[in-house]
Amino acid sequence: MSNDFYKTSIIPYSGIIIKLCRAYTNSQEDFEDYFQEVCLQIWRSKENFREESEWSTWVYRISLNVCLTLLKKKKKNRQHFVSDSITTEETEDNYAFSDESLNLLYDAIRKLSEIDRAIIMLYLEEKSYQEIADIMGTNSNNIGVRVKRIKTKLKKILDGKIN
Amino acid sequence: MERSIENIWKEGFLKSDALVAPTINNLYTKKSIHIIDKFKRMFKINLIAIVAFSFIFLIASFFVGIPITGILFFMTLTVLVIINKSLLKGLEKIDKGLSSYQYLKSFNQWIEKQVAINKSFASFMYPIIFLSMVIGFWFKDAEGIPLGKRLISEVIKGFPDIYLIYGIPLIAIIAVVLIASLLAIFGGKIYQWDLNLVYGRVFKKLKELMADIEELKN
Repeated sequence: MSNDFYKTSIIPYSGIIIKLCRAYTNSQEDFEDYFQEVCLQIWRSKENFREESEWSTWVYRISLNVCLTLLKKKKKNRQHFVSDSITTEETEDNYAFSDESLNLLYDAIRKLSEIDRAIIMLYLEEKSYQEIADIMGTNSNNIGVRVKRIKTKLKKILDGKIN
Repeated sequence: MERSIENIWKEGFLKSDALVAPTINNLYTKKSIHIIDKFKRMFKINLIAIVAFSFIFLIASFFVGIPITGILFFMTLTVLVIINKSLLKGLEKIDKGLSSYQYLKSFNQWIEKQVAINKSFASFMYPIIFLSMVIGFWFKDAEGIPLGKRLISEVIKGFPDIYLIYGIPLIAIIAVVLIASLLAIFGGKIYQWDLNLVYGRVFKKLKELMADIEELKN
């Protein structure tokens, strides 16, 4: 990957990559692995970008696909090698932001299903329902209903934690 | 006042530490080690599979009545395993502390050496395996007579004018020599094909990774 590409096409969008990778990982080590894999895949698939969407949407789509693939791989490996230890999902994260509320929110997001995590992240990134629907391959009505449901779920998790 | 998740999200990321991108200096280190570890695992499993198969084949050959095939097969595969076991020691010696590029280069050099040695060995191994089959079936007991002799007597009955050398039809000798020669000539290619079948994906990833690193270096 050239440094130029990293500086111009990844760094300006690193925010969304970081946010997404954080939602799918529980440790700094995993986060860095996911982040790096996402960067690599964005670079590798840059030729496929047709400018039919925003570059940021493209970046988001790749990031999401990479995170879901890595998560699936990780789960598969865990099934192979670990049968009696605690799952990553059950483990509290050992890395954190300085904002405690954000940490709690992330903990809550990590408790959602993989798809719900993606939807709520897109929603929090202020993507329109239509954009979310395009990325997730569904329709905007579905997304609207789902976002409401996820927000309620998140609120319940957060209330439980705070109380 | 209770904050909404939208506010927590927005305000949380305003703090400077929240969105610090990790350096990507280590991008290839873990990938390199991962790919090579994967290859090592596959290589070891492959060697164990060869040992297991040669043992099973040796035992089965006695039951089927072709012990010569079994013994020759076992000996050939044992030599193959010994060679590759010693090659594996060289692979274990590659220092993981090297830079990713150096690590991959060392691994690549090891692969090239391993392929070259195995290709040469394959030129002997495949003809030996073929000949062990021929000899094994030749001496297989067929109602008190070796199968080969029985077969020749049947051939002579059908073709009384057939040319024999030491009691064996010349045409059969030519066929065996031809097949063994072809196996010797193409043994390396057969090995390469077999290698790609088992390790093709790992090699492809390795090549991609090296190309990536080279591009990054330039």
